[in-house]
Amino acid sequence: MRSVLCYGDSNTHGQIPGGTPLERYGPAERWPGVMARELGPGWHVIEEGLSGRTTVRDDPIEGAHKNGRTYLRPCLQSHAVLDLVIIMLGTNDLKARFNQPASEVAMAMGCLVYDIKELKPGPGGSVPEIMIVSPPPMLDDIKEWRSIFASAPEKSRQLALEFEIIADSLEVHFFDAGSVVTCDPLDGFHINGRAHALLGSALAREVEAIGWPDEK
Amino acid sequence: MPDMRFAPPNPLRIADRASGLNAVSVRGYNERLVLSLLLQSKDITRLEIGARTGLSAQTVSVIVRSLEQEGLIAKGEAQRGRVGPPTVPISLNPEGAYSVGISVGHRQVEVVLVDFVGSIRSRTVLPFSTAAQDTNHPQFMSAVAKAIANLPQHLHSRIAGIGLALPGDEAELELTPKAARERFDALQEEVEREIGYPVYVQNDITAAAGGESMFGVAKHLSDYLFFYLGARLHSRLVLNHQIYNTTAAVSFDVGILRLEEEIRKKGNSPSELWERGADWPSFGDAEIAWQRDLLEQMKSSIAALKPFVPVASVVLSSYAPQAVCKAICRELEQAMPGTTAIAGNIERSPKAVGAASLPFSSRFMVE
Repeated sequence: MRSVLCYGDSNTHGQIPGGTPLERYGPAERWPGVMARELGPGWHVIEEGLSGRTTVRDDPIEGAHKNGRTYLRPCLQSHAVLDLVIIMLGTNDLKARFNQPASEVAMAMGCLVYDIKELKPGPGGSVPEIMIVSPPPMLDDIKEWRSIFASAPEKSRQLALEFEIIADSLEVHFFDAGSVVTCDPLDGFHINGRAHALLGSALAREVEAIGWPDEK
Repeated sequence: MPDMRFAPPNPLRIADRASGLNAVSVRGYNERLVLSLLLQSKDITRLEIGARTGLSAQTVSVIVRSLEQEGLIAKGEAQRGRVGPPTVPISLNPEGAYSVGISVGHRQVEVVLVDFVGSIRSRTVLPFSTAAQDTNHPQFMSAVAKAIANLPQHLHSRIAGIGLALPGDEAELELTPKAARERFDALQEEVEREIGYPVYVQNDITAAAGGESMFGVAKHLSDYLFFYLGARLHSRLVLNHQIYNTTAAVSFDVGILRLEEEIRKKGNSPSELWERGADWPSFGDAEIAWQRDLLEQMKSSIAALKPFVPVASVVLSSYAPQAVCKAICRELEQAMPGTTAIAGNIERSPKAVGAASLPFSSRFMVE
């Protein structure tokens, strides 16, 4: 049995577009659930999606617990042994309060990769496979979120390239979620059920394409 | 001391997403390793690439993605096996790169344009003028320019270069028009200057062996003895995919020139002999006598090699009709049990196609 950790924000949590963090798609509808179904019984899929999670930043408003870096280590150790870690983060780092360009968000993704490589939660204390997923770009119309996410939509369109550069440079897997799904117009930055289904199966194909030797 | 982990990332591979091929210097060893493998085998998975190169899954993933974005490789349809996860086969994209190959023989010059998997997209044959002063130079340059012009403009940036196969065999050079050797020596620079693509030069027999190795029947052979049947019979030894190239290689007068003589001796016309792609009529006794001598020479070359390198495979490449080569291979196998003799399948222009393999091997493969 192989294990994959899906580490993300509200779009991994399964938050319904236009809803609150408590309004959530069901386990089978969320992309990790879809991916689990597609991958079949050989895989154990672990969901770790937190609304508002950033890559490496304590959120001065929502709280320090939104920092994806501080939670990553206990999370990896809780769920070890892990064969694969998928990280889809970045959108929340674009909030006006952080004032970060897309390239800095990518650097922060790099930090998380280094932390995983250091902790080595893979089989036999190895570095697991790591896949960086760039989130789908935000729509221009983000409704009442436009001040919180001031100038974020434009930056969000740069994340895919910046993430790919970091993935290349650190030699980890990369997938651009924007290549298969778009955000829902209800709020402009969450993905709907249909998108969860598409993303889940696209990621299952990516996971399979990594190539997994038969387990001894 | 800054933490170098957090130095700016190095976006070399994807910095330039223009439609053309990446600059030579950018292609690292691991990328060449993966491309070498793909030039040898079709439809392999990332898992197989990792297993055969020793690269990690993540490194393979990064390289495959960048080659895919560069348009050099294409993913096939996922194959669902009865057990295990579906696999996605990866192959070279035939349209990913092109190359021009030029071979200069004593009778004619051939120019081919091939795609990334060795299919000939265009082909021109020019007579090599026998008059010493007469140079076919302008005609030659225009044939090369035309081969490139035939390719749609947007694909020109995908031309990896021009390969030039030049004769090095003393006996064959004797047959060329006077001062041809000097002309050959100047060709690389002239083509580079006038056509504007990098030119890679190789001995013509070695190039033909390279062509069979990259595109032809020798694709999966790591060790074999390569024979080239031209005006004379030539050979090269290939060990562990490496072609041993030497200026000291000798050729034997049991080639097509010899057959021509035999036919003339019988008072017949040998004109079909030098045509490319045409089937030969039966030349009767003349052909039988020639074939016997040719086989004797091949056998003695193989026998001479045997105490040093036990080569079990022989490849016979030629522009002569494949039926003729196949018949010779059959005879050879019968005479030497335990030897597998294979007729090359790059018909008509094996030297020019071999020449076209040169830019690919220089730019995409490991040494």
